[in-house]
Parts: sequence; structure tokens; C-alpha cells
Amino acid sequence: MLTHHRSQPADPARLVVIGSGGFVGGAIVERAQAVGIKVHGVSGKRLDLTQPGAGEALAAELQPDDCVVVVSAKAPARDAASLGVNIRMIEAVCDALTRRPVDHVLYISTDAVYPASEAVVYEHSPAAPDNPHGAMHVAREQILKVHHKGPLALLRPSLMYGIKDPHNGYGPNRFRRAAAEGKDIVLFGEGEEQRDNVDVNDLAELAVLCARHRSDGILNVATGRSVSFREVAELVVRLSGREVPVKGTPRQNPVTHRHFDPTVRLKAFPDFRPVALEEGLARVQQAMNEGK
Amino acid sequence: MTRPVIGYCGMTHLGINSAAGAAQRGFDTLCFDPDPALISRLVKGELPVTEPDLDRLWAENAPRLSFSADLTDLARCDVVYVAPDVPTDDRGGSDLSGLAALLDQVEPALRADAVLVVLSQVPPGFTRARGRARGPLHYQVETLIFGRAIERAVHPERFIVGCADPAQPLPPALAAYLGGFGCPILSMRLESAELCKIAINMCLVAQVSVANTMAELCEHLGADWAEVIPALKLDKRIGAFAYLAPGLGIAGGNLERDLATVCRMAEAKGTDSRVVQAWISNSGHRRDWPLRVIHQEVLARRRAPVLAVLGLAYKQDTHSIKNSPSLAFINALGPDVTIRAFDPVVPASAAGHPGVVQADSALEACRGADALVVMTPWGQFRDLVAADIAAALAGRVVLDPYAVLDRAACVAAGLAYHTLGVPALGCEEIA
Repeated sequence: MLTHHRSQPADPARLVVIGSGGFVGGAIVERAQAVGIKVHGVSGKRLDLTQPGAGEALAAELQPDDCVVVVSAKAPARDAASLGVNIRMIEAVCDALTRRPVDHVLYISTDAVYPASEAVVYEHSPAAPDNPHGAMHVAREQILKVHHKGPLALLRPSLMYGIKDPHNGYGPNRFRRAAAEGKDIVLFGEGEEQRDNVDVNDLAELAVLCARHRSDGILNVATGRSVSFREVAELVVRLSGREVPVKGTPRQNPVTHRHFDPTVRLKAFPDFRPVALEEGLARVQQAMNEGK
Repeated sequence: MTRPVIGYCGMTHLGINSAAGAAQRGFDTLCFDPDPALISRLVKGELPVTEPDLDRLWAENAPRLSFSADLTDLARCDVVYVAPDVPTDDRGGSDLSGLAALLDQVEPALRADAVLVVLSQVPPGFTRARGRARGPLHYQVETLIFGRAIERAVHPERFIVGCADPAQPLPPALAAYLGGFGCPILSMRLESAELCKIAINMCLVAQVSVANTMAELCEHLGADWAEVIPALKLDKRIGAFAYLAPGLGIAGGNLERDLATVCRMAEAKGTDSRVVQAWISNSGHRRDWPLRVIHQEVLARRRAPVLAVLGLAYKQDTHSIKNSPSLAFINALGPDVTIRAFDPVVPASAAGHPGVVQADSALEACRGADALVVMTPWGQFRDLVAADIAAALAGRVVLDPYAVLDRAACVAAGLAYHTLGVPALGCEEIA
């Protein structure tokens, strides 16, 4: 499901990261710069994609041999208003790509494009979202295909974690903050749901690999190993070195699991090794301890 | 009537083995192919296909075998089978142009009373649409199995014959020929016979898919699928000969072709084929079991590893590499992996990976390797001694999806043993 259009990997002429100031965009910028790729960042502070004329302004910054990474989003999209904001943003990006076509586009999507009922996810699993956030990303994926005719890689990450993640979503980020504040870690039910937790730096690495290979198609970004939320919570507590209770609550919703089959990634990037959860969370804890 | 003279047109795996079977049953058999060079090689006994007992039967039945690239020789045949290969593309679609072309050549050369039988696999409707200007035209289902072709050609379980009008008796020459094998003869309409082969393969795929699905669960639940199989086979509804050994998905080309055919027919006719699509998906998933395990156990821990890979053919006792799981595995490995490969028939050069090296023997392949992967269950690999493997390997990991090796002996020899249908054994933390 992922095809490389470069038989031998090579740095793109330039990596343009739209959303460079965000958690994910920033990680991609950092990784690309670390391996010597020339990066041009477009942050929301500098160019508001929801404003009139944004497409034209963005087009003026693009060059034909660019690899453009589209990260920028208002996440999560929970209602009509936030859905509309995200559609206006991608409209501006598509306007820019139409005015100034580029060589290659990477789109940072989400595994929320897959319905919750899909317990084992493959790249060929149908993108049939049952939530507005996933629907937003599917719509953006589809509209990019209309406005960009060259190679397009859709990266769909699982639950991400990292020291700079501003979101407090249920999972490693919320758990570590609770532990740091000495507050109880509260689980839905007994935390039985299994999820694949991905270090944001793995996403950044895979984005850079896709850029270097001029990849086209779909790539789920996941380690291939899912663990329960309870297991994550207990790991976070152990790493924090604090006595923090992990508490279950009466279950409100049925247990759903999500596992990812890593085979497409193994074949596309056989030398890539995802960060193991314990190692990744240990690094995050270390960064927290250092006040980062 | 005197024994009919049988002709086989198209000296393919099907044609050659079927001709050998006919001759073994005492029938004078003409082997026809429009390629004179191929005919010349066959005359010398240089067979382009490998099957157990084929060489011996070919030599023993020489007095009953004749060869020709001259169409006029077909005039002495009473029953003529047309059996060219029908190539399939990557999506399982069949190219029938070669079959049609051969029929165009052969048909005018036959006597009007000679029976023409299409033996190559065709989609339902092909034979009736094709028709024949003069003389009887039938379809017959071929049931050869790669690696067991001679057994199946000489001792068929039954003949399945498609007829324009199944209410009519079979032509005497065809009835006499088929009767010479002593097995049931099932006559049916042409379309039913053409679908029969596909239906047989769908039943086999269903069994294999159940085995693969349940075996994968066993690997995660602590069960052993090998313990479950005998219990299933003693259930008469499932049967003693049910196809329940877990494997690395469907390969060889024929089953994949039929799966694609069913999906296409269902799409065209608006019938439900979602279960078939699930089988196809499951096959792809299981095919990659070795890749996932080798990444987890070796590649995640070591850069530039050396792997010993035994077996390159898609199954044992054949030269065919069509959709071979072994080649798919090798070609998915990164360029920094060295693969020491050995197959009794297929050369290592068949694999396209830059790191493949030809080993002279199975044990030689193991020498200094970080892991052993047994990808084709050739019988000779069963003779490998676990202690010898352990001594030859630099690492401890063994992937043996088809359980060719002695599991207990491997564990006793200190190997970390991975196979289908049971959790990994002997897998303490590997440094």
C-alpha cells in the first residue's frame, strides 16, 4: 500500500512543513533538520490558513521541487464549527497546490479514519470513520488527491505521545501529567482497552523516510504492539517514581481494542525500528524531570 | 471397440503428466506440441517439469508414447485433449488467448468422429461459447496437484466431464478411455464442470483459511493447533482428509486465480463474495508471518544479520516459484541482510534480493547464520538434526512454519523455535 517513487532514497530539495509550530510539525522539522534536510516552516502564527488569501500567500512560498508536509489542523474536530475550520485550512492548502504544484505531498492524518469496530487495522482497511475527527481527515485526504497529482503519502498515526504534546487526551499524556501532579490516574472501566502508543519522533522519522523515498500511498504509523491503558498507566507511575493510585471506574462503553499490522511498514522501511513504549515513556519522564 | 488412441495437445505440466498417466494405463498416446524443439527434447526424455515418478513412467511407457509437432498426426487420435497453460496475471486474471489459438489449430486437424476435450481451466461458459464446427466437444476438469501429479494422473479419484447435453451418453471412445482408470465418471452440463474446479478450490481455500485463522489464535492463546486437528478430522462432517495444516497463505497461482475469478463473477452477477475477499486478505496476512517474526526476533535486535533460508519453491517437490512465500519473504528483507539460501531444485538466483548467496547444502546454509528460516517443507529438510543446526548457527532463532523439524529436539538443542499454530518455544531472552 506504500510505493516508493525513488529507488534510491535522497533528500528532497526542500521540506515545507505546514504546521511547523505544532507538536507533530515541530517534531518533523527537528528530525528533518537533524539529518540535514533543508526545511521551510509555515506556522499558524505566521500564516493563518483560515483567512482569505491564505492559499495565494502559501503558494508564493512553494517551489516546484518541494516536498510539502501538511500537518496543520485544529484537533480534535468535534463539531460542525471545528470541522469547518479544518476544511477551510485544507482549502487554502489545495488552493496553493493548484497555483503552485509541488513534487511530493505528505499528509499527516489519523487512525481515527478507521471505525472503532476495526480491531485489527491494515493499510487496506476501509477508511470509514464513525467520528467527526476521522471524517475530517478522510475528507482532507480525499481533497488533496484532487489538487495534487504527484506522489501523495497519507500517514495515519495511532495514539501519539511526546513531551511537547499540548493535548491532554486519555492515554500516556494525561497519565504522566496526573502522575507529575500527584493526582489519581483515572481509567475508563479497568483500562482494558488495548491501543498502540507511538512516540511522536517515530512519526517524524517515518515522515522523513517517506520524503526521502518519495513515497505514495498509505502508511499506518504504529509500533505493531498494543497494550492496555492500565498497563500504560502502571508503567507511567513506575517511571514517575511516585506513589500514584491507578483507579478504575464503572464501565460506560463496551471495550474496544485496536491493533495494527506492521507488515506494510516492515516492507517499506525494513531498517526502521519503532521506539518501544517503555523506552519512549522513560525519555519523556526524563525530559519532564529536566523541566523540558 | 479397440482401445482408443489418445492425444494430448500442449506439452505443459498438465499435458505431460496426463500423457504419462494415459500411457501408464495402457493407452497409445500422442504427445503433440506446436514447438518442435520441445518435442525434440521430450523424445530424448528431457522433461521440462519435475514430478515424483514422472521420469520413471516416461521411460517405462516409451513404447506407448509418440511425439509430434505435426498437426496431421492428430488425425489418428480418437480422443484429443487440449491442455496448454493458461497464464494468470498479478490479479489472478486468466489469459485464454493461447488456449483459443491452440484450439483453432487443432480442431481442423481432427477427424469428425474424434472427441475434442478442453482440459485447461476455463471460466464457466467458455466451452459452450467456443463450440465445435463438427464432432463432439467436452470439458474435463483437471485435478492434478503439483508434487503429486503422477499419482493423480494414474489414480484419479473421479472424472468430471462437462457435456453439451449431459442426458446423452459419453462418446464411446471417451467412455472407453475414462473407463480404463476404474474410477467414477461424473457427467454434467458444461458450465457445472467448468465451475467444479473452482468450487473444489474454494472448498480447499475455506479449509485452509479456517486452519490459518485458528492456528494464529492458538499462537496467542497457548493452544496447539496440531492437537486440535485430529479431533476435527474424526468429525465426519469435516473428514479425515480435510485440509487443516496451517500454512503461509495460498500460493502456486491456481487457487489465487480461482479466488479472483469468483470475485469477478460475483461482482458481475451481483452475488455476495465477501467471504472470498476475507480468504484472500487472510492469505496475505499469513504469508507475512515469517517477516513479522524475523523482525521481532532478529532484525529488531541486530543490524546486518545473516539468515539461512531453506526452500525457495512455493511448495515441496516442485520447481514452481509462482507466488512463492519464500521469495516474497526474502524480497521484503532490507538490503543489509545476507541470505544463505538452499533449495533442492530452485537456484538461489531465483530470488531477486542483492544479499542472496547460494549455499551448497541445508546445513551449509546454517553455518554462521543468526537465524534459520525453513520456508518450503522439502522432505530432505526433515533429516536435519537439531543439534547439528544449533552447532552450525551463530544465533538461536529458528522459524519453521511448516513444522518440518523436530520441535522437541530443537528446544532441547537450545534453539528458540517458532512455528505456526503454537506459541514460540525455548524463547528466553536472547541477548
